[in-house]
Order: sequence, then structure tokens, then C-alpha cells
Amino acid sequence: MEILSQVVAYAGLLIEAVILVRAIQCKTFSRYSIFYTYLLTVLVTSVFLEIASRMVTPPVYALLYWRLQLVTLALGCGVIVEISTHIFARHVSLDRFVRWVAIITFGAIFLAFAIHVAFLPHWKPVANAAELERDLRIAQATALLSIVFLTGYYGIEIGKNMKGLILGFGVYVGVSIISLTLRIFVGIQFSPIWKLIGPFSYTAALLIWTVALWSYEPAPASPPEPTDVDYRGLAGRTRQALGSIQEQLDRTPDR
Amino acid sequence: MIQLILSLFVGLVLVVSLYFFARRAKPSAEGSAQQLREARQTLDSLQYGLLPNDLVERIFAREDLEYVFSAAPPDVQSLFLADRKNVALGWVRRVRAAVLELMRFHRGHARLHARLSFSTEIRLALNFAGLLTACRLLQITFYLRGPYAAPGMVRTAAAAASRVCSISENSLAFLNVKGVDPLNSGAARHRA
Repeated sequence: MEILSQVVAYAGLLIEAVILVRAIQCKTFSRYSIFYTYLLTVLVTSVFLEIASRMVTPPVYALLYWRLQLVTLALGCGVIVEISTHIFARHVSLDRFVRWVAIITFGAIFLAFAIHVAFLPHWKPVANAAELERDLRIAQATALLSIVFLTGYYGIEIGKNMKGLILGFGVYVGVSIISLTLRIFVGIQFSPIWKLIGPFSYTAALLIWTVALWSYEPAPASPPEPTDVDYRGLAGRTRQALGSIQEQLDRTPDR
Repeated sequence: MIQLILSLFVGLVLVVSLYFFARRAKPSAEGSAQQLREARQTLDSLQYGLLPNDLVERIFAREDLEYVFSAAPPDVQSLFLADRKNVALGWVRRVRAAVLELMRFHRGHARLHARLSFSTEIRLALNFAGLLTACRLLQITFYLRGPYAAPGMVRTAAAAASRVCSISENSLAFLNVKGVDPLNSGAARHRA
């Protein structure tokens, strides 16, 4: 189990390097700068932790691991903002809505964290790092879900690059939430499985990103924004049709 | 335990949503002239084809019921009720389909506008959902208790429809162009 987990982790490092090299080759680093910075940070911290694991004691390693995990987690939030900015580039209101959802959920989580630190003297953030990570992953999931829902509700077309980013990130976040929750509630017995699920889900996300970001694909062209008169006329007819429905429904009760 | 259930729920919802997201078909180009024409035709058929007033009056005419109950034998009465029930169910189905079409139409066009009023959109979505639920409840009631059994529920559906209308009207306020009648301008272009 341990060896398999190691192999998957090394494969992950290799794929990360491939994605980054490909981004430099195709000159797409600047287009998705937060995402690639996130990936670069994960690569650097993974290598650093790999070296540190041979040099420091397990408690120090655990401390380092969770602190660096929180750094990459914060960058992951930036990736969601970048996804939203790209997808809703022509839909200012929807982009603003996703940002508000993210701000409110992150705000609520940090507020709960601050309350714990301030009012519960025995509650130590480092000792409860897994809990904090799970909560922040839930905030990421909420923001991702709002993007997925809004694009589906309004039928907004998404390019291959962005679709891949959402799918990869979503798979990793979703699996992380489930495995972290089970680890917190089941306890130490779940740790071996958790150690395997984490690298596996991240490698799956990396494979999705490799395929999706292999070449740059510009965002699908949106039709031009209709004129005010057009919209007003069409919506007026919508209103009239709804009025007809209301009229019919109004008629039935007294029969 | 609540935390466990909630966290697992969020994780599972995300994974399932991603599955449907990955399978999602390419959306139609709503802004194209062809689509706009089709949308207008749909609205015309909603207004003039699917919801004619006299049809509704006939379906729910209580005088028919009173006449049959006073003049016809019991087997004809039950035949009448069964027949009227099928007609009422068909009518609600068509109204529901019309509301769904209207909703699709609204979303398809709202997405083309960069600055939407979010509170309006949310209220509109909730009202559409309310109207659709009311139609579904009407279907169930007609199915279980016959076509003359749901006056209260129909009133609820009507109230939901009324809210949708007023919110739609508000959402258009920021687009008002002086001196242009929305309905006539749309119709004029349609005829052209």
C-alpha cells in the first residue's frame, strides 16, 4: 500500500512537470497564471516535503505538511476565482455572484475558525488542521458548484481548457471532502486508505488537466449582446404569455 | 453527526454534479436570428395556440357537471367525470410545458445580457419553480380527486404566475427605451 502510494505520488510530480513544461511551450502560462502558479507551488512543496520527510521527525513533518497544505489550499481558491473570471468574462453579474458566494462561505469558515481560536483555549489549529482543510474544501466546493449550476442554468458554453480545469479541480475537491470527513470521523483506522485516496484523486485531476490543457483553446465566441429594444420586445412578449397563463389559471377556481 | 452528513453530502453533490457537467451537451446558440425567430414562434403558439380562453372555460364549466348530474344516469355521470378528468390533466400538462418553454426562453435570453439583476433573477427562478410545482400539484389533485377539486391550489398557482409577471416587468425597467412599445416592436419585427 505504502509503495503504491509512493509510486502514485511520484507519477503526480512527473505529470505536474509535464503540464508546466507544456504551458511554457504553448505560452499559456500567462493565460491561466493563477492555476499554473498553484501547480508550480504544489510541485515545489511536494518536492520539499519529500526531502523533509527523510530529514525531520514525524511531528515536525506533520506540522510542515499541514502548513504547506493550507498555502496550496489558499492558492486553490485563487484558481476558482480565475475559472469564474474566464467563464463569466461576458457575464459580469454571474462572476460577481460566484465571488460573493465564495466570499460568504470563506468568511463564514474563517469566522468559525476565529471564534474557536478566541473562545476555546484548548482548541489548537495545528491539531485540527484536517478539520480546517475539510471546511475550506467545502467552501471551494460551494464556489465550484455555483459555477457549475450557473453555467448549466443559463446554458453558457465552456471551452475545453476551462471544462478540464473545473472537472479536475472538482474531482480532487470532492474526493478530498469525502476522505477528510471519513478520516476525521472514523479515525486512525482510515488513515491508510486516506493516504492512498489523496494521491490517487490528485493524479486523476492532473491527468484531466493534462488532456484539457495540452493545447490552448480560446473561449467559445458568444453571440453579440442584443440591443435593449430587442430584449425589451422579446421580454414583453414573454410577460404577455405569462399573463395569459395567469388569466387561464385565474378562471378555473370558480368553476 | 450532522457535520459528517453535511460534509459527505457536499462532497457527493459535487461529484454527481461534475458527472452531469461532463456529460452536458453543447448549448444552442440562443442569440442567432434563427433561434430568436423560433423563440418568437414558441411564444406565439403559447399565447394563441396552447392557451385559448374558451377551451379553459369549457374544461372547468361547472354547469356541464350540474347538467350531467341532474339529467344523466350514473354510468354516464362517471363516464363524464373520467373524460373531463383526462381533459383537465391534458390541459395542466400543456400549461406546465408552456411555463417550461417560457422559462427556457427567458434563461436563453437573459444569459446574453452582461448585467443581470441577480435578486430579480433569483426571484424569477423561484416563481417559475413555484408555478411548475403548482401545476404538478394540480395534476396530482386532478388525478386523485377529479377536475373540480382544486380551486385553492389553482389560486396559489395563479398567485405565483402573478409574481412572475410583476418581477419580469421590473427586470425590464432598466432597459426601457422611451417611446417604444415592447409588445408592438416585437410583433412588428416578427411580421417583417
